[in-house]
Amino acid sequence: MGKRVVLLIGTNKGVFQYTSNEERKEWKLSGPFLPGWEAYSVLGDSRNGNLIYAGTSHAAYGASIRVSDDMGESWRQIENGPSYSPESGFALNRIWQLVPGPASEPDTLYAGAEEAGLFVSYDRGENWRELKGLTSHPTRPNWFPGAGGMCLHTIIIDPGNKQRMWVAMSAVGVFRSEDGGETWKACNRGLSRVPTGQPEDEVGYCIHKMVIDPNDSNTLYMQEHGGVFKSSDGGDSWFPIEEGLTLKGDDAPFGFPISVSPTGDLFLVPLESSEQRSMKGGKMLVYSMRPGESRWEPIGDVMPDEERHVSVLRDAMTVDSLDPYGLYFGTTSGEVYYSLDRGVTWDRLPGQFSRILTVKPWIIEE
Amino acid sequence: MRIQVSVPLLLSDSTKGRTKFELEAETLREALERLVEEYPLLKVHLYTEQGDVRKHVLLYYNEDNIAWLEKLDIPLAEGDKLRVLQAVSGG
Repeated sequence: MGKRVVLLIGTNKGVFQYTSNEERKEWKLSGPFLPGWEAYSVLGDSRNGNLIYAGTSHAAYGASIRVSDDMGESWRQIENGPSYSPESGFALNRIWQLVPGPASEPDTLYAGAEEAGLFVSYDRGENWRELKGLTSHPTRPNWFPGAGGMCLHTIIIDPGNKQRMWVAMSAVGVFRSEDGGETWKACNRGLSRVPTGQPEDEVGYCIHKMVIDPNDSNTLYMQEHGGVFKSSDGGDSWFPIEEGLTLKGDDAPFGFPISVSPTGDLFLVPLESSEQRSMKGGKMLVYSMRPGESRWEPIGDVMPDEERHVSVLRDAMTVDSLDPYGLYFGTTSGEVYYSLDRGVTWDRLPGQFSRILTVKPWIIEE
Repeated sequence: MRIQVSVPLLLSDSTKGRTKFELEAETLREALERLVEEYPLLKVHLYTEQGDVRKHVLLYYNEDNIAWLEKLDIPLAEGDKLRVLQAVSGG
């Protein structure tokens, strides 16, 4: 039995798909699928056949979830998708994240939304309900949108305890649930608060992306608006891990994505600053921190011969689950790069897209 | 009364793949109601959670934006048009 490797690319003008084999040397590009729709989230799901889910949205026409059962050739819009009640006063503007439920629940999916909220489906994405314990949290009146919108962009389920999960939201912070998403606790102690203009100090933390250590469910890492942080106690407290990241003046290390490999390698793509939000000097450098080390190193110069004054968005860097693992990222100018040697050397995949919003690997057993 | 309805191509996966189709209704209000009854996927794209027409969506009855109309209980005539348009706000 072999493996097919698929890389799903969500852009602000549709979804694209690269396909390869385990070698990941030759890639076939297909798409655009769902042209004209922005896709902030994509998910390839092999738990019940091979389904592709896309969280689609449009500035005029709102957000919904679409699904394909033929590798993107045709799509069906979900009728009972995530939605807020009229009484809530909230608007569903985008679907920022689609993740599979715990391993023991092959029909479960979670969706993270803008305005920030969490939705669950127990029937392969056909019917969704809001987990209202999050949006009825006492701090909710003090949640305030950042520049990217008030989005719930990260959903992590503890691989060892399906009742325990974390969500992260821009300009709001991290919340943890111990009861499958019914009730939530803010977990932001030690993070850098951003000026949202709101008085509540339990929230107001601008998480850009958060990942969980593959070997320890109490260890989390995040790229935050105000730095890079680690928690060793499941999010109860956070401390900075910034050694080796070059700082300019008082600027905190700024960037959007953070990724972790199945072997525990961490990756960042630092940007110049919050104001500039592009590669420092046009140098596209990937930084890594290896397991057991405490210092970030610039391990990969992706385009040594050319300047690239671009950015990588929070959900646009990812790692696949193969050995050796593949590391991938897409830029705001629509290029996709990948490395098969822990981020040291890089190749560019063929094709040029518009702004890349999300990149997700999908390994299909054949 | 049979009227002509058109929607943007982008929304045609909410209307069985069609951008032009007919609808039976006696009044404009009924036509608007029947549009989302017959094509429920369309509702989320045209209206907010609170039931208002989305900010950048225009619903035109013949040459009139329905937002300009004082009432929606307007008797329809054969061949009237109901158009879903995206507001052009620059670019």
